[in-house]
Amino acid sequence: MDVLVMIVAAIVTVIAVGLFARTVVGFVRQFKVGKSINRTDKPALRTLTLLKEVFLATRLKQKPVGPIVAVSHLIVLIAFGVLFFTLVTAYGQLINPDFALPLIGHWPAFSYLIEIMSWLMVLAILILIAVRVARRPNPQQPRKSRFFGSTMWQAYYVEFTILAIGIFVLALRAAEYARGSVQGEEFIHSNFPLTGWIGENWTGLSLETLATLILLLAFGKILVSMAWFVTVAMTPTMGVAWHRFLAFFNVWFQRNANGKPALGQLEPIRYDGVALDFEKLDDFPDDIALGVTAMTDFSWKALLDFSTCTECGRCQSQCPAWNTEKPLSPKLLTIAMRNHAHAISPWMTATEEERAHLDPALIELAEKPLVGEDGVITDDILWSCTTCGACVNQCPVDIAHIDHIVDIRRSQVLVLSEFPTELNGLFKNVENKGNPWGMNASGRNDWISEVDFDVKVFGMDGEDTIPEDIDYLFWVGCAGAYEDRAKRTTKNVAELMNIAGVSFMVLGEGETCTGDPARRAGNEFLFQMQAAQNIEVLNEIKATKIVVTCPHCLNALKREYPQLGGNYEVVHHTELLNDLVKAGRLTPVNKIDQTVTYHDPCYLGRHNQVYNPPRELISATADSFVEMDRNRDKSFCCGAGGARMWMEEKLGTRINQTRGDEAIATGAKRIAVGCPFCSVMLNDAVNTRQQEPGRALGVEVVDVSTLLLDAAKS
Amino acid sequence: MGEVLVLVDAADGSVKKVTTELLTLAQSLGEPSAVWIGPGYTDAAGATLGEFGAQKVYVADSADYINHPVAPKAEVLSKLVADQSPIAVLIGSSPEGKEVAARLAVRTNSGIITDAIGIAPDLTATQSIFGGATVVQSKVSAGTPIITVRPNSTAPVANAGAATRVDVSVELSAAAKSATITNRAAAVKGGRPELTEAAIVVSGGRGVGAAEGFGVIEDLADSLGAAVGASRAATDAGYYPHAFQVGQTGKTVSPQLYIANGISGAIQHRAGMQTSKLIVAVNKDAEAPMFELADFGVVGDLFTVVPQLTEEIKKRKG
Amino acid sequence: MKIAVCVKQVPDSWAEKKLRDGDSLLDRDSVEAVLNELDEYAIEEALQITEAQGGGEVVIVTMGPERAGEAVRKALSMGADSGIHLVDASLAGSDAAGTSYALAKLLEGRGFDLIMFGSESTDARMSVVPSMVAERLGLPQLTFANKVEVSGGTVTIDRVGDYGIETISAATPAVLGMIERSNEPRYPSFKGIMAAKKKPVETVSAADAGIDAGAVGTSGSWSQVNSFAARPPKAAGVVVQDEGAGGVAIAEFLDAQKVL
Ligand SMILES: Cc1cc2nc3c(=O)[nH]c(=O)nc-3n(C[C@H](O)[C@H](O)[C@H](O)COP(=O)(O)OP(=O)(O)OC[C@H]3O[C@@H](n4cnc5c(N)ncnc54)[C@H](O)[C@@H]3O)c2cc1C
Ligand code: SF4
Ligand code: SF4
Repeated sequence: MDVLVMIVAAIVTVIAVGLFARTVVGFVRQFKVGKSINRTDKPALRTLTLLKEVFLATRLKQKPVGPIVAVSHLIVLIAFGVLFFTLVTAYGQLINPDFALPLIGHWPAFSYLIEIMSWLMVLAILILIAVRVARRPNPQQPRKSRFFGSTMWQAYYVEFTILAIGIFVLALRAAEYARGSVQGEEFIHSNFPLTGWIGENWTGLSLETLATLILLLAFGKILVSMAWFVTVAMTPTMGVAWHRFLAFFNVWFQRNANGKPALGQLEPIRYDGVALDFEKLDDFPDDIALGVTAMTDFSWKALLDFSTCTECGRCQSQCPAWNTEKPLSPKLLTIAMRNHAHAISPWMTATEEERAHLDPALIELAEKPLVGEDGVITDDILWSCTTCGACVNQCPVDIAHIDHIVDIRRSQVLVLSEFPTELNGLFKNVENKGNPWGMNASGRNDWISEVDFDVKVFGMDGEDTIPEDIDYLFWVGCAGAYEDRAKRTTKNVAELMNIAGVSFMVLGEGETCTGDPARRAGNEFLFQMQAAQNIEVLNEIKATKIVVTCPHCLNALKREYPQLGGNYEVVHHTELLNDLVKAGRLTPVNKIDQTVTYHDPCYLGRHNQVYNPPRELISATADSFVEMDRNRDKSFCCGAGGARMWMEEKLGTRINQTRGDEAIATGAKRIAVGCPFCSVMLNDAVNTRQQEPGRALGVEVVDVSTLLLDAAKS
Repeated sequence: MGEVLVLVDAADGSVKKVTTELLTLAQSLGEPSAVWIGPGYTDAAGATLGEFGAQKVYVADSADYINHPVAPKAEVLSKLVADQSPIAVLIGSSPEGKEVAARLAVRTNSGIITDAIGIAPDLTATQSIFGGATVVQSKVSAGTPIITVRPNSTAPVANAGAATRVDVSVELSAAAKSATITNRAAAVKGGRPELTEAAIVVSGGRGVGAAEGFGVIEDLADSLGAAVGASRAATDAGYYPHAFQVGQTGKTVSPQLYIANGISGAIQHRAGMQTSKLIVAVNKDAEAPMFELADFGVVGDLFTVVPQLTEEIKKRKG
Repeated sequence: MKIAVCVKQVPDSWAEKKLRDGDSLLDRDSVEAVLNELDEYAIEEALQITEAQGGGEVVIVTMGPERAGEAVRKALSMGADSGIHLVDASLAGSDAAGTSYALAKLLEGRGFDLIMFGSESTDARMSVVPSMVAERLGLPQLTFANKVEVSGGTVTIDRVGDYGIETISAATPAVLGMIERSNEPRYPSFKGIMAAKKKPVETVSAADAGIDAGAVGTSGSWSQVNSFAARPPKAAGVVVQDEGAGGVAIAEFLDAQKVL
């Protein structure tokens, strides 16, 4: 029997390792098809980031069970590595039941480590299984589960394999103890702290029986392990297993070497790995591929992202689109891309000539469009994204969903001309009129005639650069100039700066849309035209410090314009005003005796990490402040980002209503915001509720600056 | 005194107000003669033309002249210009009027001025261009001045003329007959006109309050032959179907007249209708931003203002 | 089917101000020039006609200075096939009569089945050139079309006339004018923009087109502008309080505006 077992184990192992190696090679070949992108800057920092993310589990602490899951996961992660030694031992035990690893095999410290890790691993995996079972989709509201759409058997299979291995290790050690005990070995007293008590029960067995027991247990352990290798090798789409290996690479190669989520600026559009400059249009090849039309247009990092997804669903649970019954889930999108990539991997990795000889069914599959009714994802999925960043911020393996979504939108807009019709108007208005609503440029200064203090407009006194004594260039923005509620914010901020003695200047008709909505809608060409125009002006007049009231302007000016040669110090008005209050230059004299809640705009919060200044301002101006359940980096989008402000929301429930209801539920009378689009969205939501008798009575959506002005003036 | 030809604009046999305005202008320039093209000339029409100073009425009443678009009218006028050598030809500035003027100008090698809002005795025309931003004085320097005049440029002044009927007929060129009108339909056919194509749009917003409330909006629209639109607040609340939403994420319209009732005028709504030529707003909130855009606004309850307007329009339209 | 679409480059009334190179002041002289928005409806319709027929050719025709070529490129980026650009110093300052004469000369004998126009240019707003060209070429005039149907050699349109919709048909060749919002002009794809750079644009001088220099330009104008004055910006609208006669007040206003 021993021989038979050994032969079977050897064959199984060879097959498993072979298959596994083949699949690994397959992965590498597929990633190599991806377009180039440089992700090797600052290698030391990247390594440090990797270590932090792995060992401090910095990306797993989602409440309420976050810390427990994080610790359990960390234990399994480490144990999985450490217990590799027990696998080696198991092979030895097939030959000799008393086999121990040379040098360390009977070293008490090693034994302690193995036993502690095994027990912890069993405990941790039971917790993880329990969490998965508890959070499994329930038939009434399946979409509420973050595991909706995840391949549950794969996860359970992985988890039960780990559980089985843990049990095998412990049982083996108990048997080793028993055999050692029967043989009167000394080492058993110092080596089996946590399994000896089990082994005590078997000391009555004969040496032969124990040898057989060890043989069978070792064989079982090997089979379970090899079955796992075979299974994952045969299933390259098994992200829950493969992330075990790929996540390290994915984390190391993430966009920001310092581990900051891939938010804020978008990745520039690339061709052959080089960021494109549309000013050099004439040098572009005729058939230039822009954005992602086919799987092979993705960068290797995007392909690695897709394969790394563990299907944990943390992104899905936060996604505003998913939570309002849209078809988009960042997880399902990632999975769809991954599955398709692997399904057509043989085609992707083949040369042009080889492709012709492939199975026609495969060729047909490879020609399936990425987007469309019969595509890998539908148009509705693609265009539902608000680019709120909740997914990117959550993903434990640093997948950059937004970059991929926008890259696909780029091809839809620039190459295929397939996009929601409403965007036609947006693009034309921005291109022809310099603002998204097609307003007249001369209206940019209308607000100035509605304030009773002087506002300096650049160029009025013949200056050709911003004068020395001007503290800030006040970038009013399109909403700030044209949209009624935002115009009020503009006037408030101007007045507050005026009161505080901050000197500022506006560009007036010299301003034009930053291009943010165009970029998020995939129209990189239009974005670059707008950006180039603005950067030319800003550089020419030597603008250095800029204050904005719109987080989208903030993001464009501060985070995106550097990609095109515009570098400025940009602050949001809540930051500036908060500094002014702290410095005593603005004093809230009369606190507002109402409860205020605050909605974090995605492009201020998650994308630019401004969480505290608005809160501090509110605390300084209002009697009481209450948080919504979802706040700060888990704030729930208002629904306007990603150019959704210019698209009709026809599917599911309205995102703004969901968020508005959440704000109303706090009981606050004032809902403070720091973004003109959030303001419109939440105001619409509150208005709608106020049509229902007795609801949202007296609730008002205001910009934070309104609170301060009210408090500072009265 | 030189003769001034005025092309008569008439619908269903009755002379339009713009024609009486043109005749009034013609009185100040020379001797007015009216030109009636197409069937349906009546003594009553002749009387109206005479009342405003037409000494002669040239009548070309073959149906042929109106079975083909534009060109026949230009050919009739061109014959009169050749035969009578008038000092000027005045035509109402409707889309078709301008087209007739255009062809006439080419046929007679004459200069053309469109959209005049006034004409001096020396035939210098005043035009307002760039959406009213600039006022220009122009004069025709070749041939017979052909001037199209905007409606309401002058108040009609009666000044009896003989209105002697002079029949004319012209052999139409093959080119003039090359396009044929096969059917005519009133702008409103089977219900209301299409929202994006309508010359008049009457819209309701949240202020309408309920689906039933849209009845008053529809009544007003029907009295004007207009299309019905709605704000997103109204369509979201189910007062009116989504297909009628006007705005940034709905339909974009630019009618001659847009009447906004109970619509606050959010930028998302304005983005879809701001290029309307005339905007009228009814809203009970005097601060509503829609009033900033409106050419005429009434602060009041739409449920009293709108039905009254509907009644008044029906009355005026007879 | 071979279609000419006549387009015009017009000053962009909404143009953003630019900084001047030399002294970096806001440059108030440079007004950006754009493709006349209303011509886009004609371009779109022409493209739809050829697409529906599964073939044909759409040629963009313009008369204007050197930089009017940009408007042609813009139109080409929407999908038209080629361009003809009539450029000549002698043409500067032509009035509608001169323009229609020059265009007629240019288009004559080129075998176009349809010669298309937008309803008017956003700068002059006369809407007379299409009729003048039809008159000069002796072609049927199908203008202010809201809907177009082409079958065989017959074109049928729904014309938005002064008193309702007229259905008009004529045999090609014909002049066809589209009104605003008769369709939804497409947004040029980037591919279209790239392709437009390679499309042929024929530059024609007045002499090439056999244009009599005396009939065009300022000297060839049949009307002249004697003086002009900027009028103060349009006064803000009137807002009245309803005191029982609000509806009547509106009716009076509408009457005065001649919309009833
Ligand atoms: C992404 C997005 C897209 C949008 N797209 C559009 C769009 O395409 N079109 C659009 O319209 N909106 C759009 N909106 C909504 C827009 O922001 C406004 O909420 C909406 O236009 C308001 O509609 P309203 O004016 O009817 O309602 P309100 O703003 O509530 O105004 C109602 C008005 O009615 C007046 N009123 C009430 N009762 C009476 C009465 N009895 N008589 C007279 N007046 C009365 C009130 O004074 C008030 O001014 C969009 C919003 C978002 C977020
Ligand atoms: S960015 Fe926001 S809306 Fe888009 S997929 Fe991620 S979570 Fe969903
Ligand atoms: S994308 Fe990231 S957060 Fe979303 S399921 Fe995959 S691993 Fe989890």
